[in-house]
Amino acid sequence: MATYPEKVDAAFIDSLRKYYTEEEIVELGLFIGFNLGYHTFFGSLKFYPMFSPDGRLVGQAESEKIYGAAPASLKPEAAE
Amino acid sequence: MTHVAPLPREAITDPEMLALMEQAEALGVPDDLFPRLVARAPAQAVPFMRALLMSHAQGNVDHRLKEIMRVLLARFARDDYFASLRSRKAAAMGLTEARIDAGCSSYETDPSFSEAEKWALRYADLMFLDAAQLTPDFYDQGKTYYSEAQILELGAFIAFHYGCDMFMRSMGAGR
Repeated sequence: MATYPEKVDAAFIDSLRKYYTEEEIVELGLFIGFNLGYHTFFGSLKFYPMFSPDGRLVGQAESEKIYGAAPASLKPEAAE
Repeated sequence: MTHVAPLPREAITDPEMLALMEQAEALGVPDDLFPRLVARAPAQAVPFMRALLMSHAQGNVDHRLKEIMRVLLARFARDDYFASLRSRKAAAMGLTEARIDAGCSSYETDPSFSEAEKWALRYADLMFLDAAQLTPDFYDQGKTYYSEAQILELGAFIAFHYGCDMFMRSMGAGR
């Protein structure tokens, strides 16, 4: 859905039925669609993790220093 | 025919879901295919329908502008299902098919669109075309037209509806 949506066709959905119920397939599709949209949106807002790697609650300025100008979670692929 | 069969309408008995479906029918977006499909996953169905309707038809940004953005996103996602639906509320407010088409293509050079409308349409255009252009300068420009609450409303609207577009495309809807 994210990279090659044209590959999600009837045959692909049929292949999912070997592992998942129809309810689960719909649940997965909604989950993926929701995350596709929101990760790109949140990525554009450039906010940083609330916690340091050792679990401390940190502010955005300190978090930016820890995680850098381009947080690892914001990979370029997320915007494509 | 979708890849996963939607539930028959009579199989949906949750009163809140039925009320949301009535709201959607009155609005025209979505028709009953989307709710009958998401009703396959009952725990997700009500929150998704509620969010879909709230983000589109409520809030503090002009509904007509959101309707143009919604169609723009659906066309970009190649989601024939949502691209074919139209808001009756927006039509009653004067939104025409010609303006939707202009908003989906030539808004940058069309003087009938305000600078605020152009920014919002650019926001929808760029989010999934080239999110790297959504820089702090881009957001600062947006703040000259909209409150921060309105910008977040627009961003969340774009993200949610694009996700729904990709879901319906993955289900083979509208083909």
